[in-house]
Amino acid sequence: MGEKSVESYRQIANSGLLYLVVGMALLFIVIMSLVFLVRSYRTGMKIGMDKKILNRAILSSATFTVLPSISILLGVIALSGTLGIPFSWLRLSVIGALQYELNVASIAAESIGLSGLRVGEMNGQAFTTIGLVMTFGILGSLICCIFFLGRYLKRFQKPKKNTEKEEGKKPGFGVHATTAMFIGLCSAYIGAYVGDVVRNQNYLPLLTAAVAAVVMAAFEYFTNKKNLKMLDNFSVAGSMLIAMTAAVFLHKMIGG
Amino acid sequence: MEQKEKSLIFEKFNRSMHILGKATLTISIILLVCIPFLVGIVYDSMPDTGGFLAGFGKVAIIYYPVAIVEFLIYTPMLGVGGSYLTFLTGNVTNMKIPCVMNAKDITGVVDGTPESEIISTISVATSAIVTTLVVAVGVLLITPLQPVLENPVLLPAFDNVVPALFGALGLKYFAKQIKITVVPLAAMILLCVCVPAMISQTSLLIIPAGALAIGIGYILWRKDKI
Repeated sequence: MGEKSVESYRQIANSGLLYLVVGMALLFIVIMSLVFLVRSYRTGMKIGMDKKILNRAILSSATFTVLPSISILLGVIALSGTLGIPFSWLRLSVIGALQYELNVASIAAESIGLSGLRVGEMNGQAFTTIGLVMTFGILGSLICCIFFLGRYLKRFQKPKKNTEKEEGKKPGFGVHATTAMFIGLCSAYIGAYVGDVVRNQNYLPLLTAAVAAVVMAAFEYFTNKKNLKMLDNFSVAGSMLIAMTAAVFLHKMIGG
Repeated sequence: MEQKEKSLIFEKFNRSMHILGKATLTISIILLVCIPFLVGIVYDSMPDTGGFLAGFGKVAIIYYPVAIVEFLIYTPMLGVGGSYLTFLTGNVTNMKIPCVMNAKDITGVVDGTPESEIISTISVATSAIVTTLVVAVGVLLITPLQPVLENPVLLPAFDNVVPALFGALGLKYFAKQIKITVVPLAAMILLCVCVPAMISQTSLLIIPAGALAIGIGYILWRKDKI
């Protein structure tokens, strides 16, 4: 596929139209967040909460959010090369998270016959199909909220029975299930990269993954052993950006 | 203030949160679904139905169970308003949950009380607004850098964004539960080396790899090994 096709794909992915609709969607969500904020603040006052406590909640949440938001911005940069800036911006500001978006985009790309999420193979239809899969794929928790949140939370407002029996009971499998699911996910990709080296002598994906793992190990060391918890906010996006930079140099050294 | 009066105000607040939350989520879903179709109509690039169904099937198998687990685990700590906003604005485990826990801790509210629900809604709403503003400013700043980001020299970087992600995530999750990791990782390596056709089919590999990891995790959990 030529540079011209890549250029025309990028014109769609970074078009003014997309900036406009994404801007409108984000504006709507900011306005609704403001409505939620004002209503809960007023109700807090009505039920006798101290204004200082409410203001402290706003200030602590705002300051807590700034650093992870910069990490999200780095994610937007990482994703923008393949999906354009406006769509990446939308996906990482609404519902999604970097891990989900990239994986789903990659699955969707393979489902429409591409070899992966590669700019050189993208076109307008691939973009809209991938976008639609990413959107529908993440609606699970929203659907649960719309249909089941009221009934589910009511169970927690009822007085608890058999508390003695509950005590000492081990935690459920739910948390481990999510971790196991992600282990399976990562195993599939790492397995494919190793297979690509052995069968096709394509070293770049595995080397890029290895660089990201080494950088992540460094982040984990400083976060957990040196107690620099703030770094945790940047671990995934930081590891990825360093590994992607390494991929440029590795490509020059060893080729594709 | 009397407890009864406080309960009435809070119940009214929760009812309004449910109405507002459901309306916001429904409108947002419509907006989000419309975007690919709008681009498709304007640029004559409508989504491919077969590709969409195949992709969505694979994604739903993995992410819908994860979504249900997240819904069951996180909503009791977020409360009504906090839940609607958290799942709408995303970045749940990496930002919203820690942010809410931090706000509750700082303000000293007790879990399960109306005060706790108010604080979590305020916390999630503030967090969502700040994130959107920070990212919006950042996007405005990076837009002039677009020609640099699109330079062909950087193509290998963006073509390897997925390996970069799974290298980083792999280390994080493998280190978390090494006992669950060994068998699925070895099985996937073996499969891709012996059956090269699977190398480009990672979206299919995810299903047996995930099932294997969950099965092993469940056995280990039953035996109190994790």
